[in-house]
Amino acid sequence: MDSDSIVEIDGLHVSFRLRGERVHALRGVTLDVKRGESLAIVGESGSGKSVLCKCLMGLLDSNGEITEGTITFDGIELTKIKDEKQWLNIRGSGIAFVMQDPISSLNPLMRVGDQVKEAVLLHQGLSGSEARQAAVNALSDVGIDSAEKRYMQYPHEFSGGMRQRAVIAIALACKPKLIICDEPTTALDVTIQAQILGLIKEMQKKMHLTTIYVTHDLGVVAMIADRVAVMYAGDIIEVGTVREVFKRPAHPYTWALLSSLPQLAPKSGELYSIGGSPPNMANEISGDAFAPRNPYALNIDFVQRPGYYSLSPTHKARTWLLDSRAPRVDPPEGIQKIRRGDGL
Amino acid sequence: MQRLIRSAVTLVVVIAVVFGLLRQMPIEGYFNNYDKMTPTQIRVGLERHGLNRPYLRALMSFLGNLLKGDLGVSNRYRVGYPINSLIAQKMPISMSIGILALITALALGLPLGVLMARSAISAKRFKAADKAGSAFIAIVESIPFAVYCLFIQIYGTELIRKYIYLPMLFSKENIATWFLPVFSLSLANMAMYAMWMRRYMIDEYSREYTRLARAKGVSEAAISTKHVFRNAIVPLSQYLPTSLVVTLMGSLYVESRYSIPGMGGLLVDSIKRQDNTLVLALVVVYTALSIAGVFIGDIAMAVLDPRIRLTRSQEAR
Repeated sequence: MDSDSIVEIDGLHVSFRLRGERVHALRGVTLDVKRGESLAIVGESGSGKSVLCKCLMGLLDSNGEITEGTITFDGIELTKIKDEKQWLNIRGSGIAFVMQDPISSLNPLMRVGDQVKEAVLLHQGLSGSEARQAAVNALSDVGIDSAEKRYMQYPHEFSGGMRQRAVIAIALACKPKLIICDEPTTALDVTIQAQILGLIKEMQKKMHLTTIYVTHDLGVVAMIADRVAVMYAGDIIEVGTVREVFKRPAHPYTWALLSSLPQLAPKSGELYSIGGSPPNMANEISGDAFAPRNPYALNIDFVQRPGYYSLSPTHKARTWLLDSRAPRVDPPEGIQKIRRGDGL
Repeated sequence: MQRLIRSAVTLVVVIAVVFGLLRQMPIEGYFNNYDKMTPTQIRVGLERHGLNRPYLRALMSFLGNLLKGDLGVSNRYRVGYPINSLIAQKMPISMSIGILALITALALGLPLGVLMARSAISAKRFKAADKAGSAFIAIVESIPFAVYCLFIQIYGTELIRKYIYLPMLFSKENIATWFLPVFSLSLANMAMYAMWMRRYMIDEYSREYTRLARAKGVSEAAISTKHVFRNAIVPLSQYLPTSLVVTLMGSLYVESRYSIPGMGGLLVDSIKRQDNTLVLALVVVYTALSIAGVFIGDIAMAVLDPRIRLTRSQEAR
């Protein structure tokens, strides 16, 4: 593995105990995140995106556990950490988190400024009035006007977009190396969404951050990410640069995902939707998890799980279709349109 | 301000009802030697007390006197003795025991709730603190107050006697005798506070801002005190009035068990002896206390939570 990776995840398995059943949320995730890049993780609900992020922060719910695999962050083996104290050094100063819902992610009874200051106190080694000033600066850095006055206000006096800015200010005040944004704009309206994404991008450049975006919005991916990893049923089925994955998608699930973009639908006609539903993760999955919903599935898809096939040094996908023995399959109409260059 | 007026109105309504009901009581309640009195004496007596006036006028004059701070005169319990000074004698003891009991309930109940909540959310399979606390709450809440109060008096006294001398009854000067009544009076509230504290803490633990605080690198101890506890205490303040009433009710029994010369005993005695004016005065006092409890609960909530405004503001949706 190369040294310019900040995160290296290798064969990660996570399972949850749920009403006596074992639910396998992650089934052997392998992923590298390069220093300074911006990686997007896409996938439908329940595909394991959020679980993956929680593993990175050591914040798995108490009924979940990592059963196999390793996560290395900046040279530290995260799966070996037993002590809560060690995690406290990583959370915040190593990895910061921006959450989905800005409305509920701030403590309603604490002044916004104090919540930023809490991060400053923990991670910047400042105290007293210096810490306060740093918190005010952090607020104005993320574009909050009259930060001095806003510092004294409570979250309910902030609008949704402002709150998300405050949450970002908190994340940045930790001086992290990596920021994980878990659908940072889902709860916001479109104009604010663009502002927040712009803000994160700007901050990333200014502070040399690495960012991981978790989202199911492919538009956001195109706007912000360098690379994209597609998740399905607790596994990464395709990973590559945004250009590669969007222009030359290789996995049938990625085809289906892109086909369901409204931009690709014929002018008059129904929007495409993927038939069936994701597999029940409590059951043992044999073969390719997407096979039952996949119109291009080969017989072997139901029997044996495919490995990764590289399409380029940065682009690989986990599908039997790329095997040399596989029959030639033409992707759906929409994808062919993209390949010809007149889709998106 | 609005709330203050509303509280006052409630108080007046309660007084009006109780005043009316007490007028239906036998008129013996106004005299100490009714049996030996001639009809003329009775008529003169009634007139002196203003009892043959119409309801509304009598009520008005009572309220007028109340505003001046005059609760009238006792007629049977202690003949001709002003009720004000009667209450002034009894009130301090009841108040100190009640307040001590409330403080004990908060001081032990809240930490117990916090402990239980932290144990309940921990990753351990067996949550010892939570189980033990729940057992305690279940016992206190399910056994009638009078029963465990009696048990505490009998066995508690015996237990303490092994170490120091302790009389079974209360005496103001002997500090040791304060312990058991205050403790038994606080138990019900302690269990209630622990139960709700646990529940609200667990609620708050699952909120997003707790996750954000964890992601910030805030330690588990700081999360529970700075973030979770602070938020959980807000809904808890609505139980302040209830706990005040529970304490008042409990004091009626506790005071008679330990023969504490307080308000609770006075109310029981005055009802037994049909001292109508005294009953009325005491009901007024107890009502005022309960209403004050509700009022204080509201104020406490607004102080603790910046989102709650007591007055209706213009910007409210």
